Amino acid sequence: MKALIIDDEDLARSVVREHLAAHPDVEVVGECANGFEALKAAAEHHPDLVFLDIQMPKLDGFEVLELLEAEGKRPAVVFVTAYDQHAMRAFESHAVDYLLKPFSKERFDAALAKARALQAAQPAAPAPSATDLAAAARQGKPLERIVVKDGPKVTVVHLDRLDWIQAQDDYVLLRTEGRSLLKQQTLASLESQLDPNRFIRIHRSYILNLDRLVRVEQDSKEHRDAVLRDGTTLPISRAGYQRLRTLWEGA
Amino acid sequence: MHPLLANRARLGAYLLGWAPIALLLMGIARTQNWSWAEGAALALPLCLIAAFLFLSAWFLCRALPLGQRVETLGSHGAAWGLAAVLMGSIWAGLAWLLARVLAWIPGLGALPRHVDIALPVLTGLGILLYLASVALSYLMLAQERALEAERKGAELQILAQESELKALRAQLNPHFLFNSLNSLSALTAVDPARAREMCVLLSDFLRRSLGLGERRQVALREELDLARAYLAIEQIRFGTRLKLDWRIDPATEPALLPTLLLQPLVENAIKHGIAALPEGGTLAVAAEVVEGHVLLRVDNPLDADAPVPQGLGLGLRQVRQRLLGRFGNRARFEATAQDGLHRVTLVFPLEMEP
Repeated sequence: MKALIIDDEDLARSVVREHLAAHPDVEVVGECANGFEALKAAAEHHPDLVFLDIQMPKLDGFEVLELLEAEGKRPAVVFVTAYDQHAMRAFESHAVDYLLKPFSKERFDAALAKARALQAAQPAAPAPSATDLAAAARQGKPLERIVVKDGPKVTVVHLDRLDWIQAQDDYVLLRTEGRSLLKQQTLASLESQLDPNRFIRIHRSYILNLDRLVRVEQDSKEHRDAVLRDGTTLPISRAGYQRLRTLWEGA
Repeated sequence: MHPLLANRARLGAYLLGWAPIALLLMGIARTQNWSWAEGAALALPLCLIAAFLFLSAWFLCRALPLGQRVETLGSHGAAWGLAAVLMGSIWAGLAWLLARVLAWIPGLGALPRHVDIALPVLTGLGILLYLASVALSYLMLAQERALEAERKGAELQILAQESELKALRAQLNPHFLFNSLNSLSALTAVDPARAREMCVLLSDFLRRSLGLGERRQVALREELDLARAYLAIEQIRFGTRLKLDWRIDPATEPALLPTLLLQPLVENAIKHGIAALPEGGTLAVAAEVVEGHVLLRVDNPLDADAPVPQGLGLGLRQVRQRLLGRFGNRARFEATAQDGLHRVTLVFPLEMEP
């Protein structure tokens, strides 16, 4: 069994390595200090199991997992974190294991055994997606940034730099600072994770960053357009206009 | 001092309240075949006298507070009755005297005779008015007590806020604590000597921070010692990712400042500066004296890709609030983020322990 240890702290990685030494059938194929290294190592070694820290610079643990998924890889995951334990409790319903730092040998062995069992059983139900896990751990707080794999490159889009989002079949097109990025996700699933006071579904195919809206133009009785700061116009559906109005009237 | 005499507006309202009573008196006098002039000449000054004379009821009421118990009503009632009879008699006596003085005025010659007939009525009326004053006084005392309670409540609220702050200060960052313990757990196997060192550092930090939470203000030296203890632990956690740069002018060390003002700044610098960057960076703490003020600065590198934070986080807002709360406009708080550098500057008067 091939394992990857991902944590930005040397000492934190060494604890996991030390505990793994007692399990000779598990081979540590790499240690990574950040998400980018992790993606590279995963592409190279195809690990069966990853020990994944959550709070890391640039890319957090959920984003690393999400990007691995985007490449069609889904190794067994044990989250290793000093993260809020209430957030971690949300994982219990998702059959994902976690270790709260610091942890005992017994607890570590139990997590490893569970990961092995899950991998051996090839469960009928697919593993929960990384975005679902991240949403559960956020405990209702909206998303702050989106990671996109753009060929070999990974781009992190901070939401205050996101202008609007367009649905394109199974993909969403993210428009940010004059660039367009494609990400495999449905508009509805993305919408459910955004702050509804900042991002409005103005149309079946569009979500708008409210901050970019300058005015609403009415072409005909039934047709309205949103005019954005950079001059772009996006269509507003009748339901979208209703949502905008509720927001304005509520404010 | 009587509350009605202490406030001109209240005194005016009180005297105005006597006007209908004066009119009533005049009306009663008319029914007894007094002339209007006689009625007015007696009723107006008499009411004015009563207004001031019966203010004395307040002092009596203050001396005999209304308790919860019914038993006090007996003794209090006797006191009120006695005072009322006394004051009513004095008042009637004054009316008698006044009538004789007013009789000198042409046309009011019949006044003493009229008043003599009305003396029992006047005495009774005086007793009733005095009892009314007693009631009014108790009302005022109750209102005063309510205001006092409200003020005390507000004071308690301020105290509660202060103790909340104290709890906040004593609160340790759990993320820091658990990560440190995890580092310790790692060190026990790979480097027992350093593990022991880490234990000592952690204890040192905990002891200092618990001790500081008890005090309102400390010398900068102690704040710096706490920050050093904290950063020594983070140094073990982050290794080469954390570089430290201390530039402390010893002249700043005795300066007094609100407790735990520096600690949130360095914690912030670790969280948003060092921990957010794969390669880490330099955390710089500088303190110098500039024109009788201490200039305290904490710098950390920023993730250039992350958006510049809008406004201050809760930690920095509290630092600013507490700094300005202590020194007012003699202090300055500044937080800037540009060219990949986050800088917080505190400027406050150089004041030392006497």
